[in-house]
Amino acid sequence: MSETPMTRAASATPPSVARRIKGLSDRAIAWIFVGPTIFLLLAINIFPLIWTVRLSFTDYKANRAGREIKNVGFRNYERILNDSDIWLNMQATAHFLFWTIFFQVLIGFTLAYLINKKFKGNDLWTTIIVLPMMLSPAVVGNFWKFLYQPQIGLFNYIVAFFTGKDPSSFEMLGSVDLAPWSIVIVDTWMWTPFVMLICLAGLRSIPDYIYEAAEIDRASKLRQFFTITIPMVLPFLMLAVLFRGIENFKMFDLVVQLTGGGPGSTTELTSINLKREAFEKWRTGYASAYAIILFVTVFGLASIYVKALNKVKER
Amino acid sequence: MAEVVLKGVSKSFGDTVGVADIDMIIPDGAFVVLLGPTGAGKTTTLRLISGLEKLDQGEVFIGGRRVNDETPAQRDVAMVFQQYSLYPHLSVRENLAFPLKSPILNTPEEEIIRKVEEVASVLQITHKLDNKATALSGGEMQRVSIGRALVREPQVYLMDEPLSSLDAKLRTDLRIELKRIQANLGATILYVTHDQIEAMTMATHVGVLDEGRLVQFGTPRDIYENPNSVYVASRLGQPRINILPGDLFGAAPKGAHQIGLRPEHVAQGEGRAAQVGRVEHLGDHTRLHLRLDGHDITTLADPHADYEAGAEIKIAPRDPLCFDATGNRIY
Repeated sequence: MSETPMTRAASATPPSVARRIKGLSDRAIAWIFVGPTIFLLLAINIFPLIWTVRLSFTDYKANRAGREIKNVGFRNYERILNDSDIWLNMQATAHFLFWTIFFQVLIGFTLAYLINKKFKGNDLWTTIIVLPMMLSPAVVGNFWKFLYQPQIGLFNYIVAFFTGKDPSSFEMLGSVDLAPWSIVIVDTWMWTPFVMLICLAGLRSIPDYIYEAAEIDRASKLRQFFTITIPMVLPFLMLAVLFRGIENFKMFDLVVQLTGGGPGSTTELTSINLKREAFEKWRTGYASAYAIILFVTVFGLASIYVKALNKVKER
Repeated sequence: MAEVVLKGVSKSFGDTVGVADIDMIIPDGAFVVLLGPTGAGKTTTLRLISGLEKLDQGEVFIGGRRVNDETPAQRDVAMVFQQYSLYPHLSVRENLAFPLKSPILNTPEEEIIRKVEEVASVLQITHKLDNKATALSGGEMQRVSIGRALVREPQVYLMDEPLSSLDAKLRTDLRIELKRIQANLGATILYVTHDQIEAMTMATHVGVLDEGRLVQFGTPRDIYENPNSVYVASRLGQPRINILPGDLFGAAPKGAHQIGLRPEHVAQGEGRAAQVGRVEHLGDHTRLHLRLDGHDITTLADPHADYEAGAEIKIAPRDPLCFDATGNRIY
């Protein structure tokens, strides 16, 4: 008899195990293999989700375990949606999301377009540009804090050099007007390379002969850019936006390092606000409702977006 | 349409010679076929004329205008690429309309629609117009690619084996269609092919390339009947010409190292006895594969006669082409 993977597996099974699984159907054996994974998935993903939904209808506080839990119905949801402070957090998040994605796509695509032109040393440049992405957010947050320092910070000096202002006359992290932009700048600095890499993959997927055909068809460089480059990179670009959008919706580490949500609550993104409600104020039930609202928002937006993405890809 | 003139055109890619010192005049309204094996410089010649490749040396004139420094767009050429080169994200209709939407042409919308429909019907792809370009078979892509050239009225059409991936019937149809377009529009066409029937039926002129050099240029009939070397003689003719030692049939003609015998130039019933190897009945004629002193000879025979493998028949050369030791034609 020739040796197949099946017979090899059979002969490699120890007799004690073989005795135990004897008589089990293939289906039963499959369940034994998949079972632990399903169990873990249920235990650490699905159950907490369901439990959070349940808690969102109560006034449960996780630091007072003995206290009686009261059902409050939709009161948590009502309070959140009517809370003007939370709407401010939402606005801060929207501001952060919109501008980070805007700048990252704009700069990322431009860099990818330039790097894609074949020139000497473009591999080296790619590596240099990609570096920020490789750093830990804690490190990035920390050294940007120094760069933003009004007295000694390099950032202030560079801005001062170009605008003629006094470097210590403005505080990126301390001023209500500038702080939201300071986190946009850092996130853009750190994550533009990611968008660039995805765009670069898109640009490299366009074969040269298509441009040659367009050249013969007398399309100008500008028309080639808009009728060939952009449409063919678009699916990649949209994917980059999706990734960055989801990532930045739950932005926490960088901003906590930089501003801690301040000054006031101008850079208090929803994820930071949520963490405060849940683990500083210990309003677990309220925070659960908050989390569910955010989850539904992200999930809803992402689903619509993925549908649009698929449509673009089919085109 | 316009005349295309190449003067001393050369192009190398590193150490590889693309084309070397080509002089060629493609008359206005001519259908010129370039023949040659892979790597002979056929595609490079097209790319040099189109402007996709820059010349190392020489000059290219289109319609009397020196175009060396012009872009492909300025040269106003249409090209059918070997590898289709369709715009994958566009529909067939959009692919066909793409060249017409060039701002240089400024074609009105109804005109674009009319032309696209017209070309699509000629190429039998009307039912596929709204398909995405990537959702087509190889032959359909090839046709769209031809169509994209035909919607325009350029100075010259450059075609790189445009019919190679089509089935036999469609190839015959399009061969006739291309010939008709060339005749009606007076189009100048430069055409690369391996297919000898395409060359013989469509060409007004044939250019034979060998390692980047143009070794002969003339009418198909001229190339067939008066090749100037063994190389050229072997490029045209199906079955191929028989190249044999000069003295195989007695004393060699004066100076002849080799003689070339087209299959139809082997006279039967006289001369030396050859053995019949294989007999191929093709319907309208019969091909005989003979063997004489270790040389294979292919000839044609009466389709009604019966030949047995292993039988002997007498053959003699008729009007042989004579070549010297280097393969050049003497007479």
